[in-house]
Amino acid sequence: MEYIIKNGIVYDPLNGINGEKMDICVKDGKIVESVSDNAKVIDASGCVVMPGGIDSHSHVAGAKVNVGRIFRPEDSKREIYAKKGLRTGTGFSVPSTYKTGYQYSEMGYTTVIEAAMPPLIARHTHEEFMETPQIDKAAMPLFGNNWMVLEYLKEGDIKACAAFVAWLLKAVKGFAIKIVNPGGTEAWGWGKNVHSLDDPVPYFDITPREIVRGLAEVNELLGLPHSIHVHPNNLGHPGNWETTLETMKCVEGVEAKPRVGERETSYYNTHCQFHSYGGTSWKDFESKAIEIAEYVNKSKHVVIDVGQVTLDETTTMTADGPMEYDLHMTNGLKWANCDVELETGSGVVPFIYSPKGPVYAVQWAIGLELFLNTNTDKVLLTTDHPNAGPFTRYPRVIAWLMSKKYRDEWLYNKVHKWAQQRSHVADADKEYDLYEIAKITRANQAKVLGLSETKGHLGVGAEADIAIYAIDPEEKDGKKIEKAFRYAKYVLKGGEVVVKDGNVVKEVFGDTIYVDVQVGEDLMNEVLKDVGEKFRRYYSVNLENYPVSDEYANSWRVIKIDATDIN
Amino acid sequence: MKELILTLQKEIIVPVEMDKVLPEVIENMSLEEIKNIELVQGRKRIKVADIFDVELNDIEGEPRIVIKNSSPKLKYIGSKMTKGEIVVEGDAGMYVGAEMKGGKIVVNGNAESWAGQNMKGGELLIKGNAGDYVGSAYRGDWRGMSGGTIIVEGNAGNEIGEFMSKGLIHIKGNVGIMAGIHQNGGIIIIDGDVDVRVGGEMKAGAIVVYGKVEEILPSFKFEGIVENPVIKLSKKDAGTPIAGTFYKFSGDYVYNKPKGQLYISVDSNPDLI
Repeated sequence: MEYIIKNGIVYDPLNGINGEKMDICVKDGKIVESVSDNAKVIDASGCVVMPGGIDSHSHVAGAKVNVGRIFRPEDSKREIYAKKGLRTGTGFSVPSTYKTGYQYSEMGYTTVIEAAMPPLIARHTHEEFMETPQIDKAAMPLFGNNWMVLEYLKEGDIKACAAFVAWLLKAVKGFAIKIVNPGGTEAWGWGKNVHSLDDPVPYFDITPREIVRGLAEVNELLGLPHSIHVHPNNLGHPGNWETTLETMKCVEGVEAKPRVGERETSYYNTHCQFHSYGGTSWKDFESKAIEIAEYVNKSKHVVIDVGQVTLDETTTMTADGPMEYDLHMTNGLKWANCDVELETGSGVVPFIYSPKGPVYAVQWAIGLELFLNTNTDKVLLTTDHPNAGPFTRYPRVIAWLMSKKYRDEWLYNKVHKWAQQRSHVADADKEYDLYEIAKITRANQAKVLGLSETKGHLGVGAEADIAIYAIDPEEKDGKKIEKAFRYAKYVLKGGEVVVKDGNVVKEVFGDTIYVDVQVGEDLMNEVLKDVGEKFRRYYSVNLENYPVSDEYANSWRVIKIDATDIN
Repeated sequence: MKELILTLQKEIIVPVEMDKVLPEVIENMSLEEIKNIELVQGRKRIKVADIFDVELNDIEGEPRIVIKNSSPKLKYIGSKMTKGEIVVEGDAGMYVGAEMKGGKIVVNGNAESWAGQNMKGGELLIKGNAGDYVGSAYRGDWRGMSGGTIIVEGNAGNEIGEFMSKGLIHIKGNVGIMAGIHQNGGIIIIDGDVDVRVGGEMKAGAIVVYGKVEEILPSFKFEGIVENPVIKLSKKDAGTPIAGTFYKFSGDYVYNKPKGQLYISVDSNPDLI
């Protein structure tokens, strides 16, 4: 099938194209130089053309997402998705799998990375991926509290740790190294937490600093496409900005050495909004977003995603078990908690970010401040779906960024006055243009995830994942911006039209991406001996039953890396 | 104003959802339009006239709907209604008066479970028995009935007034287990007997029991015997007087500083303390 997208205004930051009127040609799922006269014409005049959106951090599949669905029937009731010819779905903050896929697609997103996969429960994640249409997906297994990792790093055996990471990524079909509250979730197994970068983990006697630094070195030794993906300690606690800065600093000097892709950063700080808090309690709580943004701007190795609070009733879910317990004690709402054997844990709590709540207003402002003060090459749009808000609010976040008028309407009329008093968001005059929006929703993601060869741009040879929005580049009306980005005019996935006028018109099933790193055989055999021992002694499953087998995807896309020099 | 009389033609097997037929909806409709209102039946859509004989009269006062020959298969009767009156001749299915905000529903028969779920205002009168979860919250929700009055002249089932925060539930017969569980305000009056765990995890509000109680949870504190007390739910509350002699308990002390009140009839429970 051939298509030619005519007369659209193209924003493609990875190729430096900033609002040029040009035609895009598509053939056999790829973007090509030219097409024959038989190509179907898509008229994009008066519309904006961008690469398909990429979400680098979103909780869309797996055990804890499903716990959220199961224990929040009232959230299911709140939004029902029933469109002719499509599978029905429910859920506002934790939508069912089909609804998730369809709604991402309606917004022009074509690739989504599941932010936290407990390795032991990887099958569940992949099973849900198989039922999530419209998007390519990948999952990041959790490493920051894994016993094997803690032991290897304690011994300082980076190579063995690297081999273990390579084995696990392949076994559970994972994409990158996710670190959540390093050491803290393991400490939670002992009823404790870690509160600073040098607070030792019970029994293992290793510090978060050693875990983060160690895994950063492992990541670059293996040359993975993505960097370490870190949710630092002390999430959501007033005064945590110092921990955040320290964590960023502790990997200074670890250079990005990806063996595939064009990544330049070695540290990805996720949902940075939750980590930019000043003060000592909720009473003197204030924004430290400017300080964080300043450090990020001057540091070559760091990139952040924001985790913008959208001021909705939502569901929080994370592998940061102790944090969810704190949250449950704060709001008194129902709480689910889970311990995943030798690997990680998790918690789920519903949460209401009321615009009239002073703390929530400041959280909202901190997110925006990060967007408005960070170099737009180094910041990514997320809401940490569903933790700070559901992904279906991305268009609203875009509207807040593009229109100061719309932002101020919220700031002065809808949210608590603490947002003005305890942050600098009122002072920021910056308004994003569409080029910058394209960066923070697609181009930056493609680059930091190491997928920019074929994703996140519209150059010849790229995958034909394309979003077309009916919006005037000069539009400043918040509601119009929101609508345009919520319901794309057209979306192409793999060269096929899947969305037209905001409606899913074709159901497709994307690939599941994982990384297969080959390290030296002798080293791997040594590590496998340790792995076997751990399974015999501690795991509740046999090693043979642990790996995710080939039938757990509609189609796999393997990123193969030769790292046999590690031995 | 208008009076709509719907007579169910014959017994139905697959339940029908009645939430599209409300007094405020029919008041501006013609007979033809009412006959063509779409209702959900299982996975199909039907029209009102497919299962009902429809009669429309002009009357004085507020719009009203009478459902004759009603069946427990008619669900969501009066759900989300805001004004007027619905009279059910026969039994009502699940969710009668769910999320209703105003007006009045009278059921001259029994009601299935979830009557008055998440009710916000208005009045729901059930002349027969009611099922479980009278005046409760939607499954999983922690925000239950927030206003209005529910009166059941017969018995009610389990977990009535779950997560209730305001309003009144009066059951003239007996009730099952966990009456007023998670109650957070409002008053539940039970003329008959109650099964175990009355007021479990309640934080505020009051439960009055005239009949016999199976037990009082150990996490409730005995406050003494009171005569003809006036129930005050807040400092500004003018108070609701109740007649009789009661054991008064406060709780549930599984929470810190709970404000829940239990009034248990001394006459019916001479050996309770």
